[in-house]
Amino acid sequence: MDLSDLTRDLAALRDEAVLSIEAASDVAALEAIELDVLGKKGRLTGVLRGIGGLPAEDRPRVGAVANIVRAALEGAIAARGGDLRGAALDARLRTEAIDVTTPGRPIRRGSLHPINETIREIADIFGQFGFVTYEGPEVEDDLTNFQMLNIAPDHPARDLWDTLYVDIDGQLLRTHTSPGQIRVMTSTAPPIRALLPGRCYRYEAIDASHASEFFQVEGLMVDEGTTMADLKGLLDQFAKALYGADKRTRFRPGYYPFTEPSVAFDVECLVCGGSGCPACSRSGWMTILGAGMVHPVVLQYGGLDPERYQGFAFGMGVERIANLRHSVGDLRLYMENDLRFLDQFVAAGRVEAAR
Amino acid sequence: MRVPLSWLRDYVVVDLEPEVLAERLTLLGMEVKGIERWGADWRNVVVGELLSVEKHPRADRLSLTTVRIADGQEPLAIVCGATNIVAGQRVPVALPGAVLPGDRRIERTEKMGVVSNGMLCSGDELNLTGDADGILILPPDAPIGAALTDLYGDVVLDVDVKPNRGDALSLVGLAREVAAITGGALRWPETDPVEDDRAVAELLAVEVRDPDLCPRFVGRWVDGVTVGPSPDRVQMRLRAAGQRPISNVVDVSNYVMLELGKPIHTYDADGVVERDGRRALVVRRAAPGERLETIDHVTRDLDRDTLIIADERGPLGIGGIMGGAGSEVGEATSRVIVESALFDPILIRRTGQRYGLRSEASLRFEKGVEHRLARLGADRAARLIAEWAGGSVARGRTDTASAEPTATHIPFRPARVNRLLGTDFPADEQRAVLARVGIETETNPDDAVVFVPIAAAPKELDAAEVGRDVLVAIAPTWRRDLAIEADIAEEVARIAGYDTIPAILPDTAMPAYRPDPLAVRDVIRETLAGAGVSETVSHALVAPAAAKRFAWAAELPRVSGSEPPIGRLIHVTNPLSADHSVLRPALVGSLVEIASANIRHGRDDVAIFEIGKGYGRDADLTREWWRLGIALTGAFDPPSWNRPPRLADLDDAKGLIELIGRRLGFADLRSTPLTDEPLLHPGRAARVVATGRDGVMLAGVVGELHPAVAADVDLRGARLIVAELDVAGLGGGRLSDVRPEPPARHPGAVRDLAIVVAESVPAVAIADAIRTGAGPLLLSVDLFDIYRGTPLAGNEKSLAWRAVLQAPDRTLTDAEIDQTMADITAAVAAAGGRIRT
Repeated sequence: MDLSDLTRDLAALRDEAVLSIEAASDVAALEAIELDVLGKKGRLTGVLRGIGGLPAEDRPRVGAVANIVRAALEGAIAARGGDLRGAALDARLRTEAIDVTTPGRPIRRGSLHPINETIREIADIFGQFGFVTYEGPEVEDDLTNFQMLNIAPDHPARDLWDTLYVDIDGQLLRTHTSPGQIRVMTSTAPPIRALLPGRCYRYEAIDASHASEFFQVEGLMVDEGTTMADLKGLLDQFAKALYGADKRTRFRPGYYPFTEPSVAFDVECLVCGGSGCPACSRSGWMTILGAGMVHPVVLQYGGLDPERYQGFAFGMGVERIANLRHSVGDLRLYMENDLRFLDQFVAAGRVEAAR
Repeated sequence: MRVPLSWLRDYVVVDLEPEVLAERLTLLGMEVKGIERWGADWRNVVVGELLSVEKHPRADRLSLTTVRIADGQEPLAIVCGATNIVAGQRVPVALPGAVLPGDRRIERTEKMGVVSNGMLCSGDELNLTGDADGILILPPDAPIGAALTDLYGDVVLDVDVKPNRGDALSLVGLAREVAAITGGALRWPETDPVEDDRAVAELLAVEVRDPDLCPRFVGRWVDGVTVGPSPDRVQMRLRAAGQRPISNVVDVSNYVMLELGKPIHTYDADGVVERDGRRALVVRRAAPGERLETIDHVTRDLDRDTLIIADERGPLGIGGIMGGAGSEVGEATSRVIVESALFDPILIRRTGQRYGLRSEASLRFEKGVEHRLARLGADRAARLIAEWAGGSVARGRTDTASAEPTATHIPFRPARVNRLLGTDFPADEQRAVLARVGIETETNPDDAVVFVPIAAAPKELDAAEVGRDVLVAIAPTWRRDLAIEADIAEEVARIAGYDTIPAILPDTAMPAYRPDPLAVRDVIRETLAGAGVSETVSHALVAPAAAKRFAWAAELPRVSGSEPPIGRLIHVTNPLSADHSVLRPALVGSLVEIASANIRHGRDDVAIFEIGKGYGRDADLTREWWRLGIALTGAFDPPSWNRPPRLADLDDAKGLIELIGRRLGFADLRSTPLTDEPLLHPGRAARVVATGRDGVMLAGVVGELHPAVAADVDLRGARLIVAELDVAGLGGGRLSDVRPEPPARHPGAVRDLAIVVAESVPAVAIADAIRTGAGPLLLSVDLFDIYRGTPLAGNEKSLAWRAVLQAPDRTLTDAEIDQTMADITAAVAAAGGRIRT
């Protein structure tokens, strides 16, 4: 064997190997070829084994040719391998395609009741103005529910609260959250900014706009210089927070035995915007709560000197506020607990662009 | 109160449009709830002139008329059943197509063979007068063809007069408020009757034995009256104001009540016994056993607390409430006694409630009637009776308290008014404003010491003593609501307009921080909603049967420090309906009912919770306790196209409870079998208790509703899982901060254990054994499988647990792990289990 034989063999090996590399149908076949040609016991090594019979001066020349052949074959294998792997990936991706338009796997989510959510919202709004929350009992005594609120027995204003009495002398189901005013004043020194949510009861036939059980939120603010102007400013903020910054509000005289002066607080009709419609009895206004300056007698019963302290109280029906927020027309829906109604409150709200 | 504007105009000029007037009154505190167009429901009713009235050829009781409704137009032939018509009269004609009150439609008809082109209307058919038999005869100058709405239509305001303003529960009272708005003058009606020369004292005697309950009784005498219908104009007014016309004398009572706010009663004098030649009335408490047939023809037993008007024979009427049938004014009455009395408001209120008799009159008495109205009402009533029913008024009054009180003086500080309102009204402006509602003011010239009434508490007057910068308000006698300085402040604000009060945000001191009592409830609510359970809010008042049935019989575990629920139910004594007459002792009944209702609506998966109170009493001690209730039925994992539904079971409920425990920082929930609670399936119920640093933090029961109970409530065969839990902080508590352990730096050793036990051994016993045996190196142990079947015996099960062993400061050696596993094995064996290898 001489130099030219070896060189010829190398060229033949190269040509044949390149052909088989290009013909390899998958990565495994290519790897087999690589092993067969370039492996430790491969054909290239086999050809070079004949190098020992060459004169010493020829050996480097054969080595150089062999390296060129090896590099060429390695390049061919890499190129073919890249092609084959790309094709395999393409094939896999094709077979793995799914219908991406099917619905997602449902994730359970319960709803939060609109009454409690509305209480939360009211507490959050007034919380921004420093009001803290208290709660009181639902079975109340006549003294706290009425008399300490300046409603003596046989007071004609008792007609404003049709009362449910219980089988314990002097006890009743609170007709409003207002007795909480007394409970807060007797337990807390001014400055007071209190919010009192809770369940109330009245002797009232149930229909779309009347409930025998309902929820109220009472507010109380008492200090040395708390004025009706403060009340007006706060309630205006409250209405704007709930119903929108563009809503007009108004104060007009109301009547409660436990406030003097007393206030009815109206917000521009949310249905017609103030032009008058059946929802607002054509007045353009909707009354959302009652309020007033705490009556001096109530301050006295609360243990406060009415010459030194003054303040305001307000009370609102949670269902009324919720009705207006959610455009619900029938109070009964809240306590019927029909999931077809409640499920809609899975939505926390509707995101609107910040204003 | 219904206020016909045409009537109001008798007392004050009203130039404002009704809508404007309504808004101004509302802003003055006299809320107008509605504006009614009285007569708007007469469509196509016009004035016609009767040209001829003849007998119907085939019906004796019908007349054939011809009616002219426009000049130059063919008269209409109309059949009519009334007998009070003659040719030449002007009458209301409902033309074909007309609509009358009550949506009654009038068409061209044929009556007994004769065509009728419309209908002649009675006062009653038009809701104008009380006469349903005769046709309403219009004045001779009523313009022919004019729409009746234009002639007799009115605007009626529905004014909500607040309970403290009894003075405004009258047309004159509201006219005063209108005058305050417009600056106009009040026109007081003429009250003086024309009197004859007989002195009333010779005809009528009145004795009041209980002047505290009847502070004043004014009597008048009118005789020679002819009882009959009131003038049409009066009837129309009463109708529009919501009163049914009855007869001229009775209508006077109602008219004066609406006009002046003074209830009046009239007696047929011949129904009253004479004594010494005079009809003698006595006002006294009823004696036990006395009875009275009232004008509604109900015979009532009277009692000592009832104030009656009586004669020598016995009761004639219940004072201020209702008269008696024996002295009622009727068609035959010719002599009338007018009673214009004052009664104690509380007496009237209690009496009215006791007899279930509350009327427009008693409501006015309850709110208090101005003293001098007793006199003015008697005069006005006598005058009107003579005017409408004929007759002659005897001279003078029988008056038991003719001295009339003077105006109340209320010192006030204009500066304090401003301090309350947050305003800056100068004193002169306050005085001018008050004068508009008749409150005159005086200065305090020498700065004399005066007492400013701050608070007129039931017992004593809390008064500030001041001299300087004080004004004295002189409250008109009709303003019984004005007593203290704050009342004057309200008048200033009300009349100046609440819109003059500025709106500012408070800049005063803030209260101290207070934890939100709703915080724990809100965490639970958000957690459960996030886990797919919906919140409900249901009635606390339930039916007695439901309250009894759905009370827990078994003693339930409680949170440390919480007071136990107490025993007996609290009943409402005056429930509107038995279905809502008892305060619920537990939430479970409400949740079962909600689940049932939803299932009946076709909903098969229900996952709900409620945070609410239970209520109970022990003697006079009442208690209210917060609870969390959960109810699950149907698919807990909702089905979808790629997943079948999975029905809720006890483990879902326990999973929710464990989740709450994790959220509130007490992780170890222990369940123990509960076999003796009648509401729950004895084999599928557990007491659950979670303990935290401060003791038991969550405690309650969870289980499947007992099939016998489920059969009684309609669940359509579904299994219902319920839980009721006491959770620390439900009634108010704060969440302390999470204190996390740093993640261990050394790997833990995981070992799986299959432990074979008898079927009767609860899993919790083995978990306890593993914990006890492992000691402090055990990080966690979780049940991951339960196996039954070969090669186990039929009464055995294999519980597979995964235990993680770890030391905080080092990697455990094999020797330590092996020793721990040996300890576990020994403990498990002691608990009756064997390690399956």
